[in-house]
Amino acid sequence: MSGIKVKAYVRPDGSLGVRNYVAVIPVDDLSNTAAVGVSRLIRGAVAIPHPYGRLQFGKDLDLLFHVLSGTGANPNVYGAIVIGIEDNWANKVADGIARTGKPVYAFPVEGNGDLRTIELASRKAKELVQEASEQQRTEVDLTGFNFSIKCGESDTTSGLASNPATGYAVDELVDLGNTVMFGETSELTGAEDIVAEKIRDPLLREKFWRIYREYTGVIEGQGVDLLGSQPTEGNIKGGLSTIEEKALGNIQKLGTKPVSCVLDYLDELPKGGGKLCFVNTSSAAAEAVTLFAAKGSILHLFTTGQGNVVGHPLIPVIKISANPKTVKAMGEHIDVDVSDLLQLKADLREAGERIFQHAIKTINGRLTAAEVLQHDEFSPIKLYISA
Amino acid sequence: MTVKFVIHNRADNVGVAIDDIREGEEAAGVYIENRESGPVVKALNDVPLGHKIALTDIKMGSKVIKYGRTIGAATRDIRAGEHVHVHNIKSLRWGGSK
Repeated sequence: MSGIKVKAYVRPDGSLGVRNYVAVIPVDDLSNTAAVGVSRLIRGAVAIPHPYGRLQFGKDLDLLFHVLSGTGANPNVYGAIVIGIEDNWANKVADGIARTGKPVYAFPVEGNGDLRTIELASRKAKELVQEASEQQRTEVDLTGFNFSIKCGESDTTSGLASNPATGYAVDELVDLGNTVMFGETSELTGAEDIVAEKIRDPLLREKFWRIYREYTGVIEGQGVDLLGSQPTEGNIKGGLSTIEEKALGNIQKLGTKPVSCVLDYLDELPKGGGKLCFVNTSSAAAEAVTLFAAKGSILHLFTTGQGNVVGHPLIPVIKISANPKTVKAMGEHIDVDVSDLLQLKADLREAGERIFQHAIKTINGRLTAAEVLQHDEFSPIKLYISA
Repeated sequence: MTVKFVIHNRADNVGVAIDDIREGEEAAGVYIENRESGPVVKALNDVPLGHKIALTDIKMGSKVIKYGRTIGAATRDIRAGEHVHVHNIKSLRWGGSK
């Protein structure tokens, strides 16, 4: 399994991207208007508005900086514009992006107002977009890329077909020396011991248990009944009855490789490929994809049963479904149909290979359904209340 | 006979419909691991695609097994061929108190 060539953008730090964006990143909710203003004036500048960034503190603030800097540092980004109400935090986010060696400029709204900020930022964004347009895809081996996986609006067809087929593709990617991230901490409930067994290193396994217990402890500490949220209404409609059943279906997409890294919210993705990495994430689709992208994922494989439509502004999200009703009813959202695996007309290898080949096409430039349909969800995880 | 459901593991007492199953229908199952023929059960209810059908009688309080693992417990007696879902099983983890 070597010598598979793809065409990618090689960034100054050696990281490998499959898209070539100029990102316009607001640090806070107040700066969304200016960021969107830049994207309206400058073709190819992508604004990623979000509702946070004021009066956050402690670990929650650190996580916001991690997500914003990480998003700008993503290998799918050529260069970035950062806009914040104050220059201190804007510079901090910009400095985090600049460590990758890519061009980045920060602008404060205070002292300028929206109109001057938009003008100054747009002039820089124009330069960046023109520079980005000179970047060429180059032929590289399919190794050293970072991917991520998650399922959403799952049903029993996910655990039966789309998840194991994705697991087949994950095995192939890891064997080639690529890193694949997965998460959904609370949704592992009922199969958490199986995930723990995949972690060979005792210290990492202990770290996983600590993260898992902390996360589910917060949920249980609310003293509420999670029925109605887990499984979700869509899960239940699709035939999933309990969290245990959902989790056992969920982990089918991990493939057969050991889990060799365990990352909490603020941990950086280690260099060097060939790893299957657990990342502490919420199970909400947009929050999880946003965090994976901030840690460096350049392409996400997303399986769905009942039809989750999530995307991301900067990374392609490939939708895979084995539910023939979903493929028929909302086919415009589905990139890879593996319903023939569910119906026993294809085998696991054929379906897994179909996903793998589609990932290669997407790496080489084919747009996903979510990209074309403008599903640009960007949802930083917020850990607790603001001050 | 058309295959209407699949079984994840030989220890399972439920199968998963891969097509809509009609009440009264004789439905055939296969084991997913090697695609060998499994049990045939007469459906006592409609079981929509993706939903579970009981392969054996499951007593109230007994474990419901899928993937060879416990996915919950029966909240009332379930007969072979019955639709198995939130109306007759519950999680042993979250929401298990209800």
